[in-house]
Amino acid sequence: MEQRIRNDRPRARAGGLVVRELPEEVLVYDLERHRAICLNHTAALVWKHCDGETSVAEISRRLGAHLRLPVAEDVVWLALDQLARDHLLEGKIARPAAFSGISRRELMRRLGVAAAVALPLVTSVVAPTAAEAASCLPTGAACTAPAECCSGLCPGSPNGTCV
Amino acid sequence: MEKLDRLGWAAGLAFESYGVRIGVRVNDATILPRLASHFPPGWRALTKPRVERLYSLVVASEGATRRGVKGLNLVYGDINRLARTRQSEDAFDAFESDLQLYVAEAARRRVFVHAGVVGWRGRAVIIAGRSFTGKTTLVAELVRAGATYYSDEYAVLDARGRVHPFPRPLGVRTTDASDTVTGTTRRQQRVAVESLGGRAGARPLVPALVVLSEYRAGARRWRPRTLTAGHGLLALVANTVTIRSRPAEAFAALQAVATRARILSGVRGEAKDLAATILRMVEDHQD
Repeated sequence: MEQRIRNDRPRARAGGLVVRELPEEVLVYDLERHRAICLNHTAALVWKHCDGETSVAEISRRLGAHLRLPVAEDVVWLALDQLARDHLLEGKIARPAAFSGISRRELMRRLGVAAAVALPLVTSVVAPTAAEAASCLPTGAACTAPAECCSGLCPGSPNGTCV
Repeated sequence: MEKLDRLGWAAGLAFESYGVRIGVRVNDATILPRLASHFPPGWRALTKPRVERLYSLVVASEGATRRGVKGLNLVYGDINRLARTRQSEDAFDAFESDLQLYVAEAARRRVFVHAGVVGWRGRAVIIAGRSFTGKTTLVAELVRAGATYYSDEYAVLDARGRVHPFPRPLGVRTTDASDTVTGTTRRQQRVAVESLGGRAGARPLVPALVVLSEYRAGARRWRPRTLTAGHGLLALVANTVTIRSRPAEAFAALQAVATRARILSGVRGEAKDLAATILRMVEDHQD
């Protein structure tokens, strides 16, 4: 059964992740989904405070103290949305109606350019397989798609041969 | 494997490359020296034949081809057939391609990123990107401008993010209209770095610059944007061979690169217009 957590006390996922801290960002590798994820400073701070005990209102207050800016709860909910999308939270979260449907763009417009730099941003890429990350296949090599071949031709794919 | 073992093997060799032990056997002893030119750079022969991966190559005899018999060349990696070709050079290319990938995946204490690399004033420039993004062209142009050649295929990183040489001959692509009905096959021609007036580096270098650029014909000025360390690292992840098999090790090496080097991304035009700019950027870069 899927675990549901209290909506206003999010908990960061801990298992199956490789986490590296950069000076202004946090990098995460999801070992289950093979995705690499980059959290900007704000998203990383929100994630750090997701201990299952701290409320969204409290996270927003702590974030404001850290950034020395007033931080609306909207900003935290936006971060939680992005963290949940990339499976970095335990269980599911759902924004209360009062905070639903606010996008990053809308927040940027509302907060202005100066405060927009403090908006959370979570970016991710799918990690390539070894073959995807390597060079193309030469003539005669078995291929599954044209893009794998140096020639761009893989007749008979997905069980083809590069020509 | 037993079926393959029963074929008549005329010669064989075991060698090591980046800590990976490889075996090769052939049905014709005379092709072994030719085949060795397809081994990864820096390989050394082993005295003990215990290997992690065994390649078997069956090359069609010239006599058979002359008599009009359908002579085919076969390449096996362990028990799997990797290629079946009419031209022996195609079989060697298939062997080399698989061998390089295997070594890149299995190398001990090294992380292989699909990228070209040159050295300049004791620092490395990494040109990351997939096939057909113009890596080799840019590497060749940088070498012509005086940079030291490190690789046109892999940036080989250690845990501290230093780049080690992988100086195989540059693989310059040419169109071979005679090979297929479409005339679009792009073959690789091997070019020694010395023929470009350059030389290969030997010592590991700390990277100063990572260039993520794709060639686009007609593109004018190169106006790259500087990526944050995190986004630069994500871009490198997309070109890292061992990211799935050894993510923690790969992340550590990439982090060391991303936090020390400036990472630039953008579409570029002709490589010759870019080389001097890149080298100047390396000189300007401070840790």
